[in-house]
Amino acid sequence: MVGPTASLSNLHRADGSASYKCPVTGYDVLGAVNAPIELPARKDALKPEDATIEVFVKPGKATAGVGERYVERILRTMLEKVILGREKGLPRRGVVITLAAVGGEAAERGDSYITIIPALLHASLLALISAAVPLSMTFTTTLLGVTRSGQIIRDPSPAAAKAVASLHVLSFSSKGHLLLSESQGRFDFETWELVRQQAASICRAVATTGSDGDTDMGEGADGAHVDAFVRETVEDSLHRDYTWKLESA
Amino acid sequence: MAREAPPALVEQEFILNALKEDIRLDGRGVDQFRPLNITFGEEYGHVKLQLGKTSLVVRISAEVTKPRDDRPFDGLFNIAMELSAMGSPAWENGRSTDYETHVTHVLDRVVRHSNALDTESLCILKGVSCWSIRADVHVLDYDGNLTDAACIAVMTGLQHFRRPDAVVRDGQVIVYGVEERVPVALNITHKPLSVSFCTFNEGHNILVDATRKEEQAAEGEMVIGINNGGEVCFVSKFSGASLDPISVVEKTDVALLKVKELNTQLDKVLQADLAKRAKLGMADESRAANDR
Amino acid sequence: MASTSNEAPAVPPSLSLPPSQFARLQPHAYLLAHLSPPAATNQPSIRANGREPLQFRTTSANCGSLTHTNGSAVVRIGDTAAVCGVRAELLHTDDIASWSVARTSSASTNKRQRLAELGEDVTEEDNEDEDDQDRAHIEDLSLLVPNLSLSTGCAPGYLPGAPPSTTAQSISHEILSLLHSSRLVKADDLRIWYQPPNLGPEDEQMDVDEGAGKKAETEEQKPREIKAYWVLYIDIMIISLAGNPFDAAWASVVAALRDTKLPNAWWDVDNETVLCSDDVSEAHKLTLRGLPVASSFCVFEADAAAGWRAKPIPNAQQQKKDGKGRWILADPDGYEDNLAHERVSIVVDKEKNGKTVILKMEKVGGWTIDTEDLRRLVDVSSKRWDEMKQIFDQC
Repeated sequence: MVGPTASLSNLHRADGSASYKCPVTGYDVLGAVNAPIELPARKDALKPEDATIEVFVKPGKATAGVGERYVERILRTMLEKVILGREKGLPRRGVVITLAAVGGEAAERGDSYITIIPALLHASLLALISAAVPLSMTFTTTLLGVTRSGQIIRDPSPAAAKAVASLHVLSFSSKGHLLLSESQGRFDFETWELVRQQAASICRAVATTGSDGDTDMGEGADGAHVDAFVRETVEDSLHRDYTWKLESA
Repeated sequence: MAREAPPALVEQEFILNALKEDIRLDGRGVDQFRPLNITFGEEYGHVKLQLGKTSLVVRISAEVTKPRDDRPFDGLFNIAMELSAMGSPAWENGRSTDYETHVTHVLDRVVRHSNALDTESLCILKGVSCWSIRADVHVLDYDGNLTDAACIAVMTGLQHFRRPDAVVRDGQVIVYGVEERVPVALNITHKPLSVSFCTFNEGHNILVDATRKEEQAAEGEMVIGINNGGEVCFVSKFSGASLDPISVVEKTDVALLKVKELNTQLDKVLQADLAKRAKLGMADESRAANDR
Repeated sequence: MASTSNEAPAVPPSLSLPPSQFARLQPHAYLLAHLSPPAATNQPSIRANGREPLQFRTTSANCGSLTHTNGSAVVRIGDTAAVCGVRAELLHTDDIASWSVARTSSASTNKRQRLAELGEDVTEEDNEDEDDQDRAHIEDLSLLVPNLSLSTGCAPGYLPGAPPSTTAQSISHEILSLLHSSRLVKADDLRIWYQPPNLGPEDEQMDVDEGAGKKAETEEQKPREIKAYWVLYIDIMIISLAGNPFDAAWASVVAALRDTKLPNAWWDVDNETVLCSDDVSEAHKLTLRGLPVASSFCVFEADAAAGWRAKPIPNAQQQKKDGKGRWILADPDGYEDNLAHERVSIVVDKEKNGKTVILKMEKVGGWTIDTEDLRRLVDVSSKRWDEMKQIFDQC
């Protein structure tokens, strides 16, 4: 299976940016984060002791509609918990996350937008890291489909996603919490439990937690685990950023 | 933050004074564009363009719709551009600015209203179905001269795009999949591009392809839309300081020169990509044959 | 914060504030004080609105209150009230741009052919394939158009003249997506068929040899054609918003669709148009697949804000062990909605054999809910289904 590709900080103007491309589902998402940024004073939006998170999703080949508002809401509620909006410098300011689908098929009206959520979430996580926004944890997301015969398939393509009995998007934090679960279709709870198990094993490499609480991933991770992938991407970009320091040392 | 933070006065002064000596900050000539880099995505009509630090993605898409009642023989063509906070922190998501309206207007005039894309060729069945072509412009990085960059990218996209083949049989429209019939290129009647000029020091310095800093220090702006044949399809001198009519005529010549240059470069990139695709396609075919 | 709030109900009289003021000044502490009564008093934890944590508000539904719609319903869940009106409009197939378009690519099948095939073997059987085609059909042609508006004044924050809020747009999409994925409406109810008469020599022969003629007729019968569709415009208005708009909106949609009657319509060859009968007795009701019921929950945390920096977030295993200081509240009202962050929304249906099927499950905005809680909430939702079924059956 061809794994996803991602890169950090590819834009100049935004404070942080990242691109995430998943060849299986075909989604290619570019994320930009501006933070902290002054938001125009809206009396209802600004919280006195917390940052205001705004998420904006821009479809690739269509005008944004109600479906985008729906994914934006999911992303926003999830990220509000992950971003440490009370950290110094962030309260009363905004964290603006802009995501553009620059590749892949556009979802049609009324389609389930949940297939694009993993790509959007990964792009926003990497962009947030690139913008150095304080986060309480990182997270990884996966999309699973359950066919009529009860088989669980990973990352179904948009066409395959239409044929499955149920679709599930699950997101796990770096500490093992279930952060997001979005399911659609017809299924029972036992199916969901199986899906959850499989999703957890895809998202989280078998992490051996050291005594100091640090997670040791091991160099031999095969890249099939999403969190190892996210970690590697960030490590690579850090390595590039600190080349000057590493070489002089 | 509804507008870009203005540069410091000293910076502005520095730009202006340097220009008095005919020096631009990045060392370019007055009539020189920044390095232009165009790449294509996997699908047809997916263009990534970089002009200096300004970068954008254009995606062209086609779908079958019903033509407008008053124009049963015409297809539809739309350019959609929405500036998001990705391009510049000064732009607010979901709220259009004057600048967005302005750039969209220029794009509309230069590409759409000049009939660069022959909309009549998009008609499939009179009054019943036609192609609707849509160009989506995503601004990734804004560092001046968005108008020209967007114009170049949209024109490249239109030339690169291939729509599925469609025929009418017994009153029924049959759309062939890309794998069944070679998709068709759009009918491009001519290739107009816009060239924006910024004026400085009471019209003494007129620059093409200004960067964001230069744009902010400029006193006026003029846009000329022109094609390879030297036919002017759009002129706009709408804001800022006044300009001497002779320089408008002079700059039209410069614009023609630039458009010819740019179009030659575009042709080259398009040809190269086409050749690459042909090669890949052949490889795919032989592989498929082997499989069988 | 937790310690001060524990004393809150028993504040000395000298500093006493009326409960309503305390609720406004310290909403978080106020709710916390209700939910965690002092251990000594042995009181069960109860919500500020007097409900038990997993208790829903009184729900009532009323159908057919709007006379100019094909179907309508008003659903009240506590102080949240939703009105839904379903209006059916005709859509001629001639007006559908993609109608006469055939696609040959393998990915997207020929729409017309697919529909034609479907038309021939429409049976009473409710098999899965047909379900799928129904869904594709309704989706492709956008035959269901829900729109939700949070009307002016439904809650203090909603001012006149504002564009549709993001909440409203988001719920509109959720309803649309749920209508599609639950396959609630059958596409066949929305089709208007036309059977072209057999013309030509066979017709004349029929009189002579009736038996053979009939045989010929069945064999040579021209395929039925779909001439038009009913498009259902489902407009939902939240006239009063006190938390949990989705449950109320969805319940009103289901109730309104159950109430919807479509007039008998046929294709008139002479006029080349669709005619409808105004006879009420000829109108038919929609046959819905199942009765999906939505239940929403929110999670209230004791230390939502306090000590965020001092206390590291426990990892999943540790959290399971202590698992205290948070309450799952069913059907949150406006006050609780503002204080909670983590949300769960479950839509269930029950099959004829009483088995619970989940149609949608959403959990977002926090990290305290996991498998065990979800299992419990699915059970609660299926109990809620029984309750809602009674309410629906009565109206």
